[in-house]
Amino acid sequence: MLMNNRESLIQVNNLSKKFNGFVAVDSISFETKAGEIFGLLGPNGAGKTTTLRITSSILQPTSGSVEVCGCDVVKDSQKVRENIGILTTEIGVYDRFTGRENLAYFGELYGLGREQLDDRIEVLSKLLDMQEFLDRKAGTYSTGMKQKLAIARSIIHDPQVVILDEPTTGLDVLASLTVVDFMRMEKKAGKSVILSTHRMSDAEKLCDRVAIMHKGKLIDLDTVKGLLRKTKTVDLEEAFLKMINNK
Amino acid sequence: MRNIFIIWRKELKDALRDKRTLMAMIVMPMVLMPLIIIGMFKLIDYQMQQAEKQVVKVAVENKKNDSDLVEFISSQENLEIVNISLDLEAAVKEKAVDLAIIVPEDIEDRIKKQEVIKIEVIEHSLNDRSDIALGKVNQAVTAYNKQVLESRFKDQGISGNILSGVVIEKRDVATKEEIGGFGLGFLLPLLIVMWANVGGQYIAIDVSAGEKERKTLESLLLTPVKRLEIVFGKFLAVSTSALTSVVISLVSIYIAINQFGFKIEENIDKSVQNTASGAGGFAMDFSIEPAALLVIFAVSILLVLVFSAILLSISIFAKSYKEAQNYLGPSYMIIILPVVIVNSIPNFKPPLALFAVPAVNTILLFKEILVGAYDWGHIAITVGSLAISALLAIWTATKIYSNEKVLFRV
Repeated sequence: MLMNNRESLIQVNNLSKKFNGFVAVDSISFETKAGEIFGLLGPNGAGKTTTLRITSSILQPTSGSVEVCGCDVVKDSQKVRENIGILTTEIGVYDRFTGRENLAYFGELYGLGREQLDDRIEVLSKLLDMQEFLDRKAGTYSTGMKQKLAIARSIIHDPQVVILDEPTTGLDVLASLTVVDFMRMEKKAGKSVILSTHRMSDAEKLCDRVAIMHKGKLIDLDTVKGLLRKTKTVDLEEAFLKMINNK
Repeated sequence: MRNIFIIWRKELKDALRDKRTLMAMIVMPMVLMPLIIIGMFKLIDYQMQQAEKQVVKVAVENKKNDSDLVEFISSQENLEIVNISLDLEAAVKEKAVDLAIIVPEDIEDRIKKQEVIKIEVIEHSLNDRSDIALGKVNQAVTAYNKQVLESRFKDQGISGNILSGVVIEKRDVATKEEIGGFGLGFLLPLLIVMWANVGGQYIAIDVSAGEKERKTLESLLLTPVKRLEIVFGKFLAVSTSALTSVVISLVSIYIAINQFGFKIEENIDKSVQNTASGAGGFAMDFSIEPAALLVIFAVSILLVLVFSAILLSISIFAKSYKEAQNYLGPSYMIIILPVVIVNSIPNFKPPLALFAVPAVNTILLFKEILVGAYDWGHIAITVGSLAISALLAIWTATKIYSNEKVLFRV
């Protein structure tokens, strides 16, 4: 397969995470590659968000290891964060700042210089069609506008790995479309995109490969077609239910 | 360093755009305290003037005598002799009159015969006006008594000066500066300790619990910036805000006292002279020595650092703005209480150990320095204790910011 020749950007090995004795993630392993959209699928509470938080180095693993672009998330967390951009469901922006000020703050924290930052804001605002509202206070934004700002913020530093955690939850059709377009764009640009979602239809439409998570365990990992073939079903939702029942 | 500066600048800019923080940091210390202080001065002034203007009513039995004494009494300012048909005691009790005097019927005879004259006074000790009336009657009787004695000595060919055996001449060694410093010793520690806390509260909540509530904290933690730098940037922003409040409150109170304080002082001086109840002078000089100012400022900065780190540590525990406010609200009482207690104990000699207790040591030290007593041991212990507390508090804040359980307590 072509995909195997591509650079592996995330490597998760036997990762486990416990919270006060509760096993949120139970020794899972997978890797993602440049130029693919990798789906992390499962119901709420399956351990997806915890996995992603560890991958982005804001939570520490209980055991196992994660490497992002060759850097260990525990030993080299700063490097990891430089290479990762995350978009979460819970879009928080600084309401008292304009869109541009929001982006500039994060750009500076990612170490961009003034000129580099101005260029990047220009590119992103064009790309996401934000010019009209970029200089308004973010507190006046609609949900869709906030989502665009959050997307721009998460990739202000042009990271190699882009993680989206339930990015379309609570969004209307148009705003969801912005997110979907954005994922395709990043894939085309050769980034490794991880989509974590409980919406099977999104995953079916977008993902090259999917990992199915349930109760902290990774129960299967394959292409969408591969999963459908294995379970002899016609859509991912059915396939997912069948896999859970088999377990 | 660059990241700390970026975060510090952002948090301050954000705070300045927030009405709540702006109120707490700038408007309140600028307006509230001078208003309270000036209001207090004005109230005292007003009450003194009222007391002065108040006309007290005195009933005299056997008024028909129309003696010199009664005339003496009635010549007192703002005192009115009234006729009363009631029983005197009942009249005083029912406050129909403020005081009643029973003058012996044979007063003139007794004066002539050089006998002791007893005057009975009926007062109501729970009635303020009765007190004032008593004071005035006392003054009149003392003056009258002197006159009577003088005439008795004269009759025997002795000079009236013989009555002035021992006299008191008062000289105060406390300079105007010291009296001013003593007055400031009540006010200044209260202001500094209060605004070091209040001035940092809102911004501390906003940058920690507020950021959690608005769901921006995770994005910030995702940047490659070190936790220590995030904490320091926020911590410095809180400190800047608190210190700004302290400075603003001091400057505005200084201006307020200069503008309004001295006028009142003159008034009070006059009224003190005129009223019988001498309530001590208010003559103060509020100038502070540069050395004292320097020590106070340096210690204030340390105090602000301690408070800021504590405020930040407490507010990051909270899930929301409201919860953080519930935590920090009572902190105000805990801090103000020692000030009030220390202020209310007269001639309090603090044991050395108290200079090791943050906040309390600041109050004690400021009180000393403001009256010109520089105890370098006390200064060293205070500075050392505050510096250690500040470091400990910052270290704790950093630890808390690295604790995933606290950060994701959602």
